[in-house]
Amino acid sequence: MSERSTVGLVAAASRGDERAWDELVRRYTPLVLSVIRSHGLDRADAADVNQTVWLRAVEHLGRLRESNALPAWLITTTRRECYRLLRLGRRIQPFDPYDDSAGGHVGARLLVDPVTPDEDLLRAERQQALREAFAQLPPRCRELLALLTADPPVSYREAGARLGIPVGSVGPTQARCLHKLRNCPALAPFVRARPTGEDSGGDRDAAVAASR
Amino acid sequence: MQPWPPAADDALLAELRAARQGCDPVPEEFLAAARAAFGWRSVDAELALAELTFDSACDPEPAGLTRSTGSARTLTFRAGAVVVEVEVTPSGVVGQLSPARGGRVTARTSAGPYEEVPVDAVGYFSMTAPPAGPVQLCARTTEYAVATAWVSLR
Repeated sequence: MSERSTVGLVAAASRGDERAWDELVRRYTPLVLSVIRSHGLDRADAADVNQTVWLRAVEHLGRLRESNALPAWLITTTRRECYRLLRLGRRIQPFDPYDDSAGGHVGARLLVDPVTPDEDLLRAERQQALREAFAQLPPRCRELLALLTADPPVSYREAGARLGIPVGSVGPTQARCLHKLRNCPALAPFVRARPTGEDSGGDRDAAVAASR
Repeated sequence: MQPWPPAADDALLAELRAARQGCDPVPEEFLAAARAAFGWRSVDAELALAELTFDSACDPEPAGLTRSTGSARTLTFRAGAVVVEVEVTPSGVVGQLSPARGGRVTARTSAGPYEEVPVDAVGYFSMTAPPAGPVQLCARTTEYAVATAWVSLR
């Protein structure tokens, strides 16, 4: 399962496995970048934050391998470093951290839209989780869903022909594969139950909201 | 708030499509920098990591302390009982190790070391203005050896 695989990669990288590290970089740099983009840094600052975050991650591998802590750690660290560089950009004019006008100014630059960045971040996390869940599906499901989500999408008829399954079975197979995808443990941290039911995702949502 | 993942297959398929296609491309330089960071793993395994615990650029001053004067930026790093305090001005970096011990401090970027200076008897050291990008200071004294967390000093 995906938690294990990320945890396994972190553990392997902390023992010196460079290929495991490269896979972590491939998997999570889009996440780091999505956080950076939500802060509106210029490209040089963005590159500095990205480099800082990964240099720190190397030093924290040993502490991050006990649980699936890496994604959350990357998000927190990236946000922190974005904030630092945004503040630094204003250092030519000394600022007073207790001065509301200065803080308001930085705040305006930090969050151009007070709502959007968090939504972007949540969407980025969910998309990352979906990609991980997809990677955990049986090969047959991956093949079918890859065809059906291709750009441009492939018709049931053509998907069936390519995979050698009767066109009448494509729909039911898609439904079974999406069911597997929906229940993949990789999505568990992001599940938000119906408001009327057991809200298993509420704690996390609250925690995420509180951390931001 | 809508439940997630969506219960409708069409909606889930659409999200999967967006996830598989929609992620913005990551510039190769970002990937390269991230991969290269691994090169610093255990380069100095004997150095204890001193975490960044205060940065006047973005943290409120601790209660009871007077704000540093002028445009200096101050940072504090801690590794157990060892504290590295650094003040960055346009003209350079001055720092102090505590407890004060003689030794040497090396500064490096991700490309490698760029400066090495002595630490005096009361723990002070002085360096030139830092380059852009993340920097790490490695302090080796007669009694301890620490590396600060990577951070952009300017």
